[in-house]
Amino acid sequence: MSSGTSVHCIVVTPERTELDAQCEALKLPMYDGELGILPGRAPMVGRLGYGLLKLQSATGEQSWFVDGGFVQVTRDGVYVLTNRLLKPEQIDRKSAEEELQRATEMVATTPQTRSVKERALAQARGKLRISS
Amino acid sequence: MANIRQLDKRRKSVRNIRKITRTMELIATARFKKAMDRAAAATDYTKRITQIVQDLANSGASVSHPLLVAHDTVKAVDILVLTANRGLCGGYNGSLVRVAAQRRSEIQEQADAGQTSVSGKRGISAFRYAGIPIEKTYTQFDDQPSFDAVAKIADELIYRFVSGQVDRVDVAYTQFISSSKQVPVVETLLPFAGLDVSSSAGTTSAGTTSTGQESNVRDDYEFLPNASAILEEVVPASFRARLFKCFLDAAVSEQIARMVAMKSATENAGDIIKGLSRTYNRARQSKITQEIMEIIGGVEALG
Repeated sequence: MSSGTSVHCIVVTPERTELDAQCEALKLPMYDGELGILPGRAPMVGRLGYGLLKLQSATGEQSWFVDGGFVQVTRDGVYVLTNRLLKPEQIDRKSAEEELQRATEMVATTPQTRSVKERALAQARGKLRISS
Repeated sequence: MANIRQLDKRRKSVRNIRKITRTMELIATARFKKAMDRAAAATDYTKRITQIVQDLANSGASVSHPLLVAHDTVKAVDILVLTANRGLCGGYNGSLVRVAAQRRSEIQEQADAGQTSVSGKRGISAFRYAGIPIEKTYTQFDDQPSFDAVAKIADELIYRFVSGQVDRVDVAYTQFISSSKQVPVVETLLPFAGLDVSSSAGTTSAGTTSTGQESNVRDDYEFLPNASAILEEVVPASFRARLFKCFLDAAVSEQIARMVAMKSATENAGDIIKGLSRTYNRARQSKITQEIMEIIGGVEALG
């Protein structure tokens, strides 16, 4: 992390390590908005929301959809832990709309069901934002 | 002589079976390698999660979550049994079903309610045969279980546990210890114990072993939004990863079991073929000898 002018970004999902790349800067979709990371960022652990992870390198900007999870910034790299990492093209607007519809229709009467519903809503909205 | 023809026929059919078992062994070997790679790739995530929990505990945050708390009275216990969809893998399914059924009867002595869920066609039919009622069945898991499908089951279990419908969740699966040792085990998944080790004892032991060089330069982490909110997310994620690990272990063990079973079947078929060939040759030779004797006898009678 502190090594020179690049950030080492590693994305792991429960299935495998999806991405292991060096970049100049990256933007993370946090639970409450975007967070930029530059080389030398102080150590941090944070919750991720549903949105785009953007990697800025000399060749240009690349982006992926991150499906919730956490991020851990250490002195040797940025570790993103998420359930799924998708290319923005892989997100279909129609199915995202359907997901949102289903999430809105969920009946939430207890705190547990409410948190399930909120999560589903945030997930569907995040997908919808990207697909448009 | 009909006997000779029969022997030859049997030898041919054994040869065919050997071809099949050898192919199955090769397929199982290939699948085992794939499943093994997947299982190895999945460890990164669990490692990272334990690291985060470690850092949370080191920063002084109290590790508490509904999933970690044992319920006062255990009335309902769920058991999830992970078997294979297909047979021909030696004692893999049989020994697992035995272990699971035993635990289930133990559970029934102490708890009055709870669901029995079975994954894999073999386990389902074995439980049906034993007359054990099954609430949920899953047959979609083969040699490469997907995390999404496992996460759904995990979320359901989390919901049942948190809402008080169930007080304990056990899972029966074949644990992968090494490529020459797999053991059918029953583990208690909920209340979740996977974090306790790393938060209390782990702060001293794992803190010096796994992150040996870093321990002298301790990082003070900034938590967004705060440590407890992250913990709220980390615990279910860790549980999901744990359950996924069980599925991966089961898949790897199944392929190994099949590989071993098919290897011995192939070898056995070879032995049978050897024996049959010997009897066949002996029978043929004695037939030839007999025919010669008959001809000689005929010639002598004529002369």
